[in-house]
Amino acid sequence: MKPPILTIIMFTIISGTIMVLMSSHWLTIWIGFEMNMLAIIPILMKKFSPRAIEAATKYFLTQATASMLLMLGIIMNLLLTGQWTALNILNPIVSNMMTVALSMKLGLSPFHFWVPEVTQGIPLMSGMILLTWQKIAPLSVLYQMAPSMNTHLLMIMAFMSVLIGGWGGLNQTQLRKILAYSSIAHMGWMIAVTTYNPTLMLLNLTIYIMMTLGTFMLFTFSSSTTTLSLSLTWNKLPLITSLILIIMLSLGGLPPLSGFMPKWMIIHELTKNNMITAAMFMTITALLNLYFYMRLTYATALTLFPSTNNMKMKWQFESTKYTTLLPPLIVMSTMLLPLTPMMPTLF
Amino acid sequence: MMTYIVFILSVIFVVSFVGFSSKPSPIYGGLVLIISGAIGCGIVLCFGGSFLGLMVFLIYLGGMLVVFGYTTAMATEQYPEVWVSNKAVLGAFIVGLLSELLTACYILKGDDVEVEVVLKFNGAGDWVIYDTGDSGFFSEEAMGIAALYSYGTWLVIVTGWSLFIGVLVIMEVTRGN
Repeated sequence: MKPPILTIIMFTIISGTIMVLMSSHWLTIWIGFEMNMLAIIPILMKKFSPRAIEAATKYFLTQATASMLLMLGIIMNLLLTGQWTALNILNPIVSNMMTVALSMKLGLSPFHFWVPEVTQGIPLMSGMILLTWQKIAPLSVLYQMAPSMNTHLLMIMAFMSVLIGGWGGLNQTQLRKILAYSSIAHMGWMIAVTTYNPTLMLLNLTIYIMMTLGTFMLFTFSSSTTTLSLSLTWNKLPLITSLILIIMLSLGGLPPLSGFMPKWMIIHELTKNNMITAAMFMTITALLNLYFYMRLTYATALTLFPSTNNMKMKWQFESTKYTTLLPPLIVMSTMLLPLTPMMPTLF
Repeated sequence: MMTYIVFILSVIFVVSFVGFSSKPSPIYGGLVLIISGAIGCGIVLCFGGSFLGLMVFLIYLGGMLVVFGYTTAMATEQYPEVWVSNKAVLGAFIVGLLSELLTACYILKGDDVEVEVVLKFNGAGDWVIYDTGDSGFFSEEAMGIAALYSYGTWLVIVTGWSLFIGVLVIMEVTRGN
């Protein structure tokens, strides 16, 4: 794609999300969502192939449906309350409809079917934008609506999401699909705590974005999209191998890495609100997630698979990939746990 | 008849939506889309929004849907599916029509019974225009359009940018490699 067009499109993606974040009027929120969705379609289709076009079409159809549902909710809210502010939707029909629309945008169960298929059909860097930047706008609207949302609906979607994110990722060897199911599970954790403490949702989002950005950049660095090619990185880039180990364990939520922080705070908050079975269920299903992260670390850093090459080391060339801010991301994804008391105060 | 004009136009609106969502070939879907757009324009006109209704007719139907019609005419197949040619399309059309009819009869039960679906309906009285709702000296619709270009400058900029991005995206997508 020519650089001027890429610049304009990236600018529109960023300004679409910023419009959603800065708006208090429902119409501009909706306009921001539409700008974002339109502009990301060519980014999804950067590598022009039928698979990529199929992925972009699936993304467009589901997001357009979600936007239409959101618009219906906005108009019904206008009809029933006569105002356009985006806080505290008190009518249950409107609130449920908007929650369903936003969870379709996020890829929560039972609207998660597009996430693995779209993530698999697009290049790694586009998948990175899809799974991190595109989650910010819907979660910010959920944060604004949080005081009046239906806890039952959110909890049902959270349980189904962590289950499907855990179970669905078990049989995958393609890294993009694994990260897609990981995204579904993390979204489940995020919305489980929204009605109890929305700050923790933002905390989980931040830590998740840092870890996922780091993961995608490490995969791009070694140009690997399958577990098999990931298992050959010991030969090319040994440092990346150990970093993948650490970031995978952090994604799985193991202490003393910073991926443990959001899970710990969320379980704490759920227990304080007497939702002990919920917390237990979500912790147990997080083990399914941990299993496939562990499988990736086993394949990458802990064993040498039988491979075709028998050289101990390849020539190490300078990498030409855009991995901006990779060292700070890795440090923040692994070493933030001692700063846990400070983190909720940042949001 | 003029009292019930909004009701009649709404019925035709809904029926034409059923017509194209029962998925005939795009050329016939586009035809019904044009009809439903024109009916929607008529509903806007009946509520006193003369400028906006004519804008819908000119720009939406006369500009965009005509372009859509020409592109589907270029991409049309040899034996396009019409509503009576395919059992699936006919079945979907009849099912949609029946459900709309039943919903309308449920809501219009009578003038004494109040029915609540999302809003409270009280017979056919809610779809009838008794007056245009003007406040007297100025038309609210014209004031709204004037406000768009004075207070709503940011909205015009954002909307213009979004349309420009729409065209850019379409050209990027169809250009391919």
